[in-house]
Amino acid sequence: MKKLRLYYEEYNKRPYQLLWRHFITQHFALFGLVILSILLLLAVLSPFVSPHDPYLQNSEILLLQPSWQGTGLVAYPFGTDDLGRDLMSRLMLGTSYSFGLAILAVSGAMLIGLALGILAGMTRGIQSSIFNHLLDLALTIPSLLLAIVIVAVLGPGLLNTIWAILLALLPQFIHGVGNAIQQQLKQDYVVAYRLDGANNWQILWSVVLPNLWEPLSLLFTMALSTAILDIAALGFLGLGAQAPTPEWGSMVADALDSIYLAPWTVALPGLLIFITVLSVNLVGDGLRNAMKKRREN
Amino acid sequence: MNFSYCRFGSLSLVLWLTGCQPATVANSGQGLVYCAEGSPESFNPQLVTSGTTIDAISQHLYDRLLDIDANSGDLLPALAQQWHISPDGLTYRFKLRPNVSFHQTDYFTPSRYLTAEDVVFTFNRMLQVEHPFFQTATEYPYFDSIEWRHRVKSITALSSDEVEFKLNQPDSSFLSVLATDFAAILSAEYGAQLVAQQQKPLLDIQPVGTGPFKFRQYQKDVLIRYYRHDNYWRQHGDIQQLVIDIVPDNTKRLAKLLTRECDIAPIPRLAELQMFSNRPDFKVEQQTSMNVAFWAFNTQKPPFDRVEVRQALALAINKPNILQAVYFGQAEEATSVLPPNSWAYRKQNLVQSFDPVKAKELLTQAGYPDGFSIDIWAMPVQRLYNPNAQKMAELIQADLRAIGVKARIVSYEWNTFRRKLRQGEHDSVLIGWSADNADPDNFLRPLLSCAAAVSGSNRANWCDEQFDQFISGAVQTTDVAQRRSYYLAAQQYLQQQMPLMPIAHSKRFQVKNSSVQGVTINPYGGISLVNAGKTP
Amino acid sequence: MILRYLARRLFLLGFVFVALTVFVFSLNYLFPGDLVSNLTGMRDISPQKHQQLQQMLALDHSLWQQYIAYNRRLLAGDWGLSFASQQPVLAEIMQVLPATLELAAYALCLSLFAGIPLGLLAAVKKDSLLDRCISGIALVGYSMPVFWLALICIMLFSLQLGWLPTSGRLGVLFEVPSQTGFIFVDILLAEHVSRSAAAYSALQHLAMPTFILAVYPTNVMIRFVRTSMLEVLEQNYIKTARAKGLSRSQVLYRHGLRNALLPVTRQVGLQFSTLITLAMLTEVIFSWPGIGQWLIDSIYQRNYPAIQAGLLVVSSLVICVNMLTEILHTLFNPLARKL
Repeated sequence: MKKLRLYYEEYNKRPYQLLWRHFITQHFALFGLVILSILLLLAVLSPFVSPHDPYLQNSEILLLQPSWQGTGLVAYPFGTDDLGRDLMSRLMLGTSYSFGLAILAVSGAMLIGLALGILAGMTRGIQSSIFNHLLDLALTIPSLLLAIVIVAVLGPGLLNTIWAILLALLPQFIHGVGNAIQQQLKQDYVVAYRLDGANNWQILWSVVLPNLWEPLSLLFTMALSTAILDIAALGFLGLGAQAPTPEWGSMVADALDSIYLAPWTVALPGLLIFITVLSVNLVGDGLRNAMKKRREN
Repeated sequence: MNFSYCRFGSLSLVLWLTGCQPATVANSGQGLVYCAEGSPESFNPQLVTSGTTIDAISQHLYDRLLDIDANSGDLLPALAQQWHISPDGLTYRFKLRPNVSFHQTDYFTPSRYLTAEDVVFTFNRMLQVEHPFFQTATEYPYFDSIEWRHRVKSITALSSDEVEFKLNQPDSSFLSVLATDFAAILSAEYGAQLVAQQQKPLLDIQPVGTGPFKFRQYQKDVLIRYYRHDNYWRQHGDIQQLVIDIVPDNTKRLAKLLTRECDIAPIPRLAELQMFSNRPDFKVEQQTSMNVAFWAFNTQKPPFDRVEVRQALALAINKPNILQAVYFGQAEEATSVLPPNSWAYRKQNLVQSFDPVKAKELLTQAGYPDGFSIDIWAMPVQRLYNPNAQKMAELIQADLRAIGVKARIVSYEWNTFRRKLRQGEHDSVLIGWSADNADPDNFLRPLLSCAAAVSGSNRANWCDEQFDQFISGAVQTTDVAQRRSYYLAAQQYLQQQMPLMPIAHSKRFQVKNSSVQGVTINPYGGISLVNAGKTP
Repeated sequence: MILRYLARRLFLLGFVFVALTVFVFSLNYLFPGDLVSNLTGMRDISPQKHQQLQQMLALDHSLWQQYIAYNRRLLAGDWGLSFASQQPVLAEIMQVLPATLELAAYALCLSLFAGIPLGLLAAVKKDSLLDRCISGIALVGYSMPVFWLALICIMLFSLQLGWLPTSGRLGVLFEVPSQTGFIFVDILLAEHVSRSAAAYSALQHLAMPTFILAVYPTNVMIRFVRTSMLEVLEQNYIKTARAKGLSRSQVLYRHGLRNALLPVTRQVGLQFSTLITLAMLTEVIFSWPGIGQWLIDSIYQRNYPAIQAGLLVVSSLVICVNMLTEILHTLFNPLARKL
């Protein structure tokens, strides 16, 4: 077809492009995205790029200061912990646990939540009502408390923590997906499609699902920040990752013993948790704003 | 004014356990705070051996017939003013101090001073089955371990202020036994009151003694509150209120010291000793102590039933590394269960070299060329002998990985931990022992004898006839040289058998606020605050 | 209408409680160990006693009857013994719960008093420097791991500056018997105590935990109020009011504020559950003798009766508060009464 513009024609960019355009105008959000990308890379590559063995104890260099302080060595940029393990390598490996596993847990929760949410959203009647009430119950209990309960049943451990957080995040996703679907079903274009003779599954497949990615991505960022904080909190309480796993939360708890002598062993893992969560939230906020602007235009 | 408060209190239906008593303590937040590392197990020293409990109760609440001079180790008169030993060494007579008063508390008002009857009541409890309180305790760990019932024939009150102990055999260590913190004198009158009230267990829960402080309140895992005993027979400090604040966490104890929430804290983290000794507002005190930290293998469970395996594991551990990382150099490497300052210490003990290659060979010999998986139980609390078992476990875990042994670190809450240990559920455990007296028997018997394997304090569950013969032989003779040779043989045998791997002997430290003076630590016993004072 | 609504809510509450007790009851079977021990909290039960207890627990009957028996015991206040102390669990909870409630209540107040004005301010001055600052701080506070923040505050205020104590509710040298569990009331009731000094000590102990606990909800509140106010400001009735000639402040006060704050009542309920969870972490760090620390200790101790009971109490509390705020919200806001 020729590109001949006879009439004025509204030129629509693809929604993703539009969203991206709005997104990159927000510098903080972009910054968050960059950090998240780096962290994601680290989470995958940390075993290969860490300068030292994160588990190797070296009694010659216990509690070595970071390299920018007095006795620090350049080979150990963030210093060492109280067992002489390289803090930088441990923090890098910790990315896989604290950030990588959080992403896995949230993805798992999202997939299962999507399936159950579709069921909840597409059905009506007494079953759905009971289901929703149970969901409300689960929603009122904070995810961390729910995770603590699940850990109490399963016993402490990193893997159990992941299961616990996955389960604890589920209600959020089911609820979110269910609501989004209900909203979609009320839209005029759905009604029109239905009048065309489409059945439930056709509506779901070709209309509802493509429109779900937006609320889903928002849900994902929110759940991700919760998951990171929860994994860290459980690790800190000693219910999650066990020694010597360098999960950030448990690293903070382990380093508490040397808080006076080596405050950086407490500060750095905590700082990383904070930066990670902040980046996730920045990206989440950025997405939300971008979506809002796109809808407004 | 205090009186009117009191009446107001009783009128206003405000009831509390201790009710209303004439307020002797103006409670305006004055007093001394001692931050302890754990809760006491009982309020009667007869029933315990743990150093934590002794520190928290014995010197504050009770007196003994004799005291030990903390520096010279000489015996000093305490509740007994004079004593006399018969020429055959079988009869000991003590003349008691007059006008020694017991504590007046909400639950007991003494009507008389200390008499010989109280001393008889106290020591007969562990001797005579027909004593009303004999059955209220399941065991008397210290007195059982020194075989009190075999040593003492009878205890009688000759008059109201004279008491006589008759022994079965001459025993040169008898006076030292009476001077330990376990030999606290109880009140017979209080005992009679409890019998009448049918509240016998309270004897060990709501204590009455003659010590410088009297019991006021105990909240489990939170605090113990003592008031000053105003009618104490000795000159003593003017601390009106002594609070034992129970802070199990090392870091928190230190923080409390820094924020002045604690005046005295035992078992400081060795890493921070330097910082405290550099500060003028704190004072670090040091005392040699007899203790040992060890790694015990549950010899009832494979693969620890094989001597080669135990030897191999011991060889694989880098002890100097542990001393550096866990004790920050403030401990001696242990080559035997007995510390070097014990008279029976075997100097020829081989320093166990760190030799992973040989360890690996031994494992192959034992039929484990590919290693195996074990659990290391690390105690969740800090004790004198081991300030950080978790960290020690991590170090051992890494050392074991090098010889192909996979180790998992296990920990439970302390009470659960001890219960499971007693039941022998562990593979191997990092724990230790603090001595109650200088006798080598006090290390070897409770830790490694067959009897201890039954009672549960033998963490290696190790029962060996040869070894039992050594230690029984040693106590049956009074000749020191002969005893020594028995103990040397026992130590040599232990080094071959390796039911447990001794790791370190730690010094005892405590940090206090510089405004506190007059604190004394006994090498074998608890801390004493009799003369403690605080400058504002 | 209202009555029907309330009846529905109450029915829902009942349903939720049934679900909750079923869940907690089923935990007895999920936890490892002996069922009778898990249910009663007794240890080392003799075979004879075991038989007797089985009867009492209706273990020889169907699951359904066991559940009924379980509920009957719950209602009678027989919640079993704690594995650790062998004391009744319910009594222990009643001792620790007030401390948590106290902490959570103060933190909630703080978050409301700080969060609402800041959120409103940010919304009214949208896109100004002030808004950016407030929103930025809110985002930072919202992303901060609470335990880390607490540690940093302890390092700064306690260890460096020596201003505030690190743990507990009251200086240990003050002998204040626990009568109500609420520290200031207890101080008032206590005898022989210098009340002003004790109250000052209690305040000092309270300051840092309250602040730490309030950080997260405050920032959530700021973000929530800001969004809510912005939404309201875009509504047509605001534009109408402006068009009618009301001044900006009049519009904000009469139409904006009330409508924007309505959803806040509901948010309070949601915040309460977050508060209770965060309180658990805060309590552990500050050795605050509340239910959070107690529950975490119980998990370390594998103290199953205590875990169950703690869970039941905390969840019921959260659910009740949620329900209450929901009902309040509905009473204030006729639009929410969809019947």
